[in-house]
Amino acid sequence: MALRRGFQDHFDWPLFVTTAAISVVGVINLYSASSAAGGALRDVYIQQIYWLTLGAGAAVLVAAVDYRHFERFGWVAYGVGITLLVLVFLLAREIRGSQRWIPIGSFSLQPSELMKLFFIIALAKHLHNDPRTEGRTLKDLIIPGLILLFPLMLILAQPDLGTALILVFVFCTIMVLTHLKFRSLATLVVTLAASAPMAWEYLLKDYQRERVTSFLNPEKDVLGSGWHAYQAKVAIGSGGILGKGFLQGTQNQHKFLPDQHSDFPFPVWAEEHGFLGSVVLIMLYMVLVLWGIKIASEAKDRFGAVVAVGVSALIFWQTVINLGMVCGLLPVVGITLPLFSYGGSSVLTIMAGIGLLMNVSMRRFHF
Amino acid sequence: MNLLSVRREVGEFRKRYKWMVLFVLVAMSTIMGRLFQLQIMQNARWQVEAERNITKVVRLPATRGIIRDYKGRIIAQNRPAYNVYVTPQLVGEEQLNALAELLSLDADAKQRFAKRMESVPARRRSHFVLAFNDITRDQYAAIETHRRELPGLNVVATPVRSYPFKALGAHTIGFLNEVSAEDLKRLTGLGYGAGQSVGRSGVERAWESYLRGKDGELRVVVDVQGQELDGTPHRVAQHAVREEPTPGLDLRVTLDMDMMRAAERAFRGQPSGGVAVVDIKTGRVRALYSKPGYDLNEMGGGLSELRAKELFENPFRPLIDKTTYETYFPGSTFKPISAIAALQDSIMTPSVHYDCPGYYELGQRRFRCSHVHGDTDMREAITQSCNVYFYKLAEQVGIDRIAAYAREFGLGQKTGLGINTEASGFVPTRDWYAKNHNNKYHLGFTLNTAIGQGDTRVTLIQLAMLYSAIASGGALYVPQLVERVEQADGSIVEEFPPRVRRHINVDPVHIALIKQGLLGVVNDREGTAYEARVEGGVIVAGKTGTAEVSKHKLNPREDPRREWYNRRAHSWFAGFAPADNPELAIAVIVEHGGQGGKFAAPIATSVLQDALGGGDPNKNKPLLISKKP
Repeated sequence: MALRRGFQDHFDWPLFVTTAAISVVGVINLYSASSAAGGALRDVYIQQIYWLTLGAGAAVLVAAVDYRHFERFGWVAYGVGITLLVLVFLLAREIRGSQRWIPIGSFSLQPSELMKLFFIIALAKHLHNDPRTEGRTLKDLIIPGLILLFPLMLILAQPDLGTALILVFVFCTIMVLTHLKFRSLATLVVTLAASAPMAWEYLLKDYQRERVTSFLNPEKDVLGSGWHAYQAKVAIGSGGILGKGFLQGTQNQHKFLPDQHSDFPFPVWAEEHGFLGSVVLIMLYMVLVLWGIKIASEAKDRFGAVVAVGVSALIFWQTVINLGMVCGLLPVVGITLPLFSYGGSSVLTIMAGIGLLMNVSMRRFHF
Repeated sequence: MNLLSVRREVGEFRKRYKWMVLFVLVAMSTIMGRLFQLQIMQNARWQVEAERNITKVVRLPATRGIIRDYKGRIIAQNRPAYNVYVTPQLVGEEQLNALAELLSLDADAKQRFAKRMESVPARRRSHFVLAFNDITRDQYAAIETHRRELPGLNVVATPVRSYPFKALGAHTIGFLNEVSAEDLKRLTGLGYGAGQSVGRSGVERAWESYLRGKDGELRVVVDVQGQELDGTPHRVAQHAVREEPTPGLDLRVTLDMDMMRAAERAFRGQPSGGVAVVDIKTGRVRALYSKPGYDLNEMGGGLSELRAKELFENPFRPLIDKTTYETYFPGSTFKPISAIAALQDSIMTPSVHYDCPGYYELGQRRFRCSHVHGDTDMREAITQSCNVYFYKLAEQVGIDRIAAYAREFGLGQKTGLGINTEASGFVPTRDWYAKNHNNKYHLGFTLNTAIGQGDTRVTLIQLAMLYSAIASGGALYVPQLVERVEQADGSIVEEFPPRVRRHINVDPVHIALIKQGLLGVVNDREGTAYEARVEGGVIVAGKTGTAEVSKHKLNPREDPRREWYNRRAHSWFAGFAPADNPELAIAVIVEHGGQGGKFAAPIATSVLQDALGGGDPNKNKPLLISKKP
């Protein structure tokens, strides 16, 4: 009974409308992005509809259960996520030099996507159960650090730099919520800065280093590793104010955009709908993220607040990094644009995340 | 509900939210700012880039103008060469094998091709790249049959130059070859691109801008693979453009290829030399023949390294144009100038007699004559080429007066033929000798100069123009090589009238005397070229020359085994015909031929006979064993 009343009275319409708008626009854009491609990619937009529907179902389920149950089973979820990540190494096929997918029938599951949510929940549970308000020291960061570390290592080993990066950014955003002592913060920053060259040397693969260098020096190698970024810029820039029109983008239709359905759907949109279309889309993402923060600020407990911030951060960072990458502000990393990029696991994860936001939002008047 | 614990310590987070909101706003604004920059401020630039991405330009080469001789025979024309272009990106193992089979390449050639495809830089991999030049018709047929199986392949028929006369007139007509990086720098803005040909020598080079025409281009819409797109008509209509090439203009040159043939024929048995024939009434060049030559058809780019080496190292220097670029001592062909200087400036009268004992003594030195001529007047001195007479003449006339007339008749300056690198030759003066011989001029220089030895140097074309001026009574023309410019349909675009460089002021009486002397050279029993006359044929007047080559200035790299040849005198003949009403002037040099009368003169009379007398007058007579009277 409580559930039905909650849905009726407190259903978060702005959240729903924004999400739906992005999803619909995304499908339309995928239709254009895949119209030039042949073969199996031709109907990814239909598959995307399936995934969105499935994701909507998942969101309803996630929203229906009081989120405090998630808090109780936080560690379990975390454990399941880690297990799946380990399973990747046992079961996965290698695609383009990395193992990310577990085949399930004709589908393949990308556990690193789901892990994003499990990680947020686990971190939220930890902070929820550690209700201090005084400044934290480095010692207090050990457990959150460990919560991050296990999935991070497993994901880096796949290797999937993009997802790992998102995990780190989401972690940092959530930790910003808590109060860290200045000295601890300083120590942390100095240590990280000092270890950056080490990471460059040992953690990054050659192709990743190449992407960074080609980003820093884009004119050097337009047709090598800078090709993707350059053609994306051409697509966006040639769109102009109003764009070339639906299905009329030459960069897209003539296949100059690589991965236009996964990592580069935004240039397709920007080319065909121009600056105005782009701004509308970015506004939608902005509303979604800001609305997530609003939900966090109105949450009744720490768990809800952390989860809402975590999901918002997830959406925010993926959006900003993907857009920054396609318009040449950031180096190329494989990070998808939420609900815009084609991808089952990605859509499911974001939709489930939206479900979590809805959950927190609807229960702000409870207990 | 006690199962679900409630903790309300969310207050700590509150103050962070507004910073987060601010951060989100800043980040999103940055992205929108960037989009503003890309899509609105830099829009034009990226649009050009996007356009360039999808357009592939195929050059449609213009047909080069045809060169005809003055009787209308084709000297240079075009034939189609089938060139194979491929898109390297689309050439995989399979295509490579198919192509190799169709073109019947051997393993070596196939590997070379594969390597070349690999070396194509990434930015050109989606474009057409020239793979094979001038394939045979069989290869072309094979490719056309299997065209469907070879994506991104294109066979373009490009006109290439073809020269039906092969080596005949090679230096004058010239050839084309591919533009070099330096050319491209020199020719910026004229639409030359890598792989195109440019006139390299002769008329082909000098008249490049007329002959070349303007290339057209075909723009096709392609995808990232370089594949042409069809089925998107509205977009193709927007981008695909065909700009037709403008053919080059045809040239009618003044050369007479029959006369060139006659020169070639007359030169058989002699390895090296040249012939220049000009029309006396117009200055139009009828023949410029330099031996040995090279086949123009092989110079277009297919010249193998071995063949190039052969050409470069040939001791008879086929690459040197002996009609305009090489200079020689004129030898006795110079004597008419000395005579004119003496007569025109009233230093001597033609009736002055000198006795020739076979030598002339000047101080310690003895200047030789060919033999003892005895008592001679000026006409006889010319006819018999008596050096002693001219030594004595030179003493009175002086070197500077001779030099002045030499220059007046066009020596020491370029004639203005307008092709290749023309040499100026050299006319020494008293000052020059003084400056170059420790300030010690002495009379010996003048004596040598008067008989065409010493330091005077002339080109074959200069000498032909000089004798043309004598024959015409003083009209020195600019030698003309191109008569008119025509369109393909024969309509005249531009016509070039004869150009007189100057009228030389010489008394007709003096000219008549000189001509008498020259007539005697070939037709008097004492004449130095009497042996070369054509019995019953065209009457030729002219002067032989035997130009001693310097004994000191042998090229140190020269093969000592060739020394006997290299030290032999050059054989000259210069003159005109018919003697009474001159039409053609001729200059012939046989390098290291020896005596002028024996070697150069028969070539000259033979060419003139062919040109003016309709061939050998004795050719159709019954063969008799002739008894000399």
